[in-house]
Amino acid sequence: MRILLAEDDPLLGDGLQAGLRLHGFQVDWVQDGEAAERELRAQDYGAAVLDLGLPKRDGMDVLAMARRAGLTLPILVLTARDAVPDRIKGLNQGADDYVIKPVDLDELAARLRALIRRSHGQPVEHLQAQDVALDPASRTVLQAGEVVNLSGREFDLLHALMLNAGRVLSREQLEQHLYSWGQEVESNAVEVHVHHLRRKLGNGLIQTVRGVGYILPKTAASQA
Amino acid sequence: MTATTSIQTRLLLLVIGSVLTVWLVAAGLTWGDARHELDELLDSHLTQAAALLVAQQGFEHDDDEHGLDAPVLHRYAPKVAFQVFHEGRLSMRTANAPARPMVDMAEHWREGFRTVEIEGVRWRIFATHGAERDVQVYVGEQIDSRGDILKAILRSVLWPIAFALPVLMLAVWLAIRRGLLPLRQIQGVLQSRQADALDPVHLPALPADLAPMLDALNALFGRISTLLSAERRFTADAAHELRTPIAAIRTQAQVALAETDETPRRHALQATLAGCDRATRLVEQLLTLSRLEAGQPLPMGTVDLAPLTRQIMADITPQALARGQTIELQGAEHSPVQGDAALLAVLVRNLIDNAARYSPDGARILVTLGEGRQAPQLSVEDSGPGLSDADLPRLGERFFRVLGSGQSGSGLGWSIVRRIAAVHHAEIDTQRSAQLGGLAVRVRWPTKP
Repeated sequence: MRILLAEDDPLLGDGLQAGLRLHGFQVDWVQDGEAAERELRAQDYGAAVLDLGLPKRDGMDVLAMARRAGLTLPILVLTARDAVPDRIKGLNQGADDYVIKPVDLDELAARLRALIRRSHGQPVEHLQAQDVALDPASRTVLQAGEVVNLSGREFDLLHALMLNAGRVLSREQLEQHLYSWGQEVESNAVEVHVHHLRRKLGNGLIQTVRGVGYILPKTAASQA
Repeated sequence: MTATTSIQTRLLLLVIGSVLTVWLVAAGLTWGDARHELDELLDSHLTQAAALLVAQQGFEHDDDEHGLDAPVLHRYAPKVAFQVFHEGRLSMRTANAPARPMVDMAEHWREGFRTVEIEGVRWRIFATHGAERDVQVYVGEQIDSRGDILKAILRSVLWPIAFALPVLMLAVWLAIRRGLLPLRQIQGVLQSRQADALDPVHLPALPADLAPMLDALNALFGRISTLLSAERRFTADAAHELRTPIAAIRTQAQVALAETDETPRRHALQATLAGCDRATRLVEQLLTLSRLEAGQPLPMGTVDLAPLTRQIMADITPQALARGQTIELQGAEHSPVQGDAALLAVLVRNLIDNAARYSPDGARILVTLGEGRQAPQLSVEDSGPGLSDADLPRLGERFFRVLGSGQSGSGLGWSIVRRIAAVHHAEIDTQRSAQLGGLAVRVRWPTKP
């Protein structure tokens, strides 16, 4: 899952980027409000972690702009502004969560996963499609109760398809989910990962929509 | 509360004491006056009686029948006595009068008043004689009887006082209580106050002599309130500003714990340490600032800025050199100012450190010590990005940070510089450096007297 991190403090931004990567997120890190706004408009992020005291453009403005522009991605505000009026304002401006610094890394990751899950209409952490179960927190996949070993990218690809079950995802959209900035994207990476997933989980799960992308059909079981 | 004597008790004692003193003095004066008047009145009665007796002797001259005893007509009569002698013989006397003259003055007889003691009783006697000196009349009165009259007069004066005193005390006590009511109201208002209630005390219908005290009290409340709110704001700001460094430390430490690869783990640990250093620096700055804002008087002395600046530059130069920056001092060899050496060092260090910190690698930093129009001055210029016109005036607001600097400062350094300059009555101004293009900060100390 690819997220945007907007934090001007070098030490904290560096730590959050590294920590969230350890939790399986692809993290793009910007250090000022203008960059945050630009990236939010340009890229399709699963979620954003937004500091409020940002240079050039205040986080609150970025938040308001994002909502005005019709962006629906979950935005978690992470700030030192702990006053109740600030929290209320943040939530009213369209934040999905308001977290006061300092925050526990595991908690931040859990909150982000919950926000992302909710934004896809998933009330529970586990995703289910046919006989395949996916747990984003422990990054494990079970098929008929048996653990299936997936690489990081394979997991992220499956996660994206399961979250968006019933919707066709283009190759570009999937690439955006899998890679953050500066990571080399091989030309046929998505095809290769889909191929591996089909080999490990069977051909029935992921379907190709020729010339468009891939879909994981929505079944009754997928809402488990 | 341990009070010596309450105002109420003191007032009561003073009022009752004064009243009592005045009363007693008045009674004493009355006693003296009454006694004098009484003496005059009774003495005049004695002379009048004596004159009557002398006159009577003229008509009864040849009467050999000596009516020795005059009749007793009044219960007071035994206290009054007279004797009439005719040619040395007793011709008439009262029963209580002795046969011999009540005044023994055989040698030289003289008309007038005497006080004598006869058989243990003191008498006031008036002696007189007829025109031919053949008749001698003595009229006397017991002195005790005069005392009785005086005592009766005094009793009539003092008795009302004895009855009135308790009533008066009660009345005075009530009056004082009522008079001190505003004091008790203030006490009540102050007692029922919460410790943090610092709004002014207002009492309806406050007496004019209590208003200054209450005004002073309210002014004190005002000063405490200002101090307290400054303290609260500072604490809130400080807590807010400490959150980010602590968040960084926590996050980096968690990354270090979770990371299994050696290189990123070391990176996270080093970042944790850097975060600790930053938090330490921030805390030190906060302490310096809070000490400065407490407004304690400074130990002022003559400080030479030149060696102080050289030492600080020597400390900072290695870091600057590591970033390819050139750092240079020029100007006066000696620049004495009045001030506190430790604080001035903090000021100079902050200025030069800021210039180095916020300028890019390879930048130039120029420190100039000058005697501008007899006033010592220090200017620090750099070839860094400088400040926008909008940012210039905001520099020095507590926790204001220049955006996009990429440096993890707190903005406290500037607040400290401004405070130190202020307590030294030094002026500080910032502008674009004409020579280097970056920021130029100039501190001017007051002109020497």
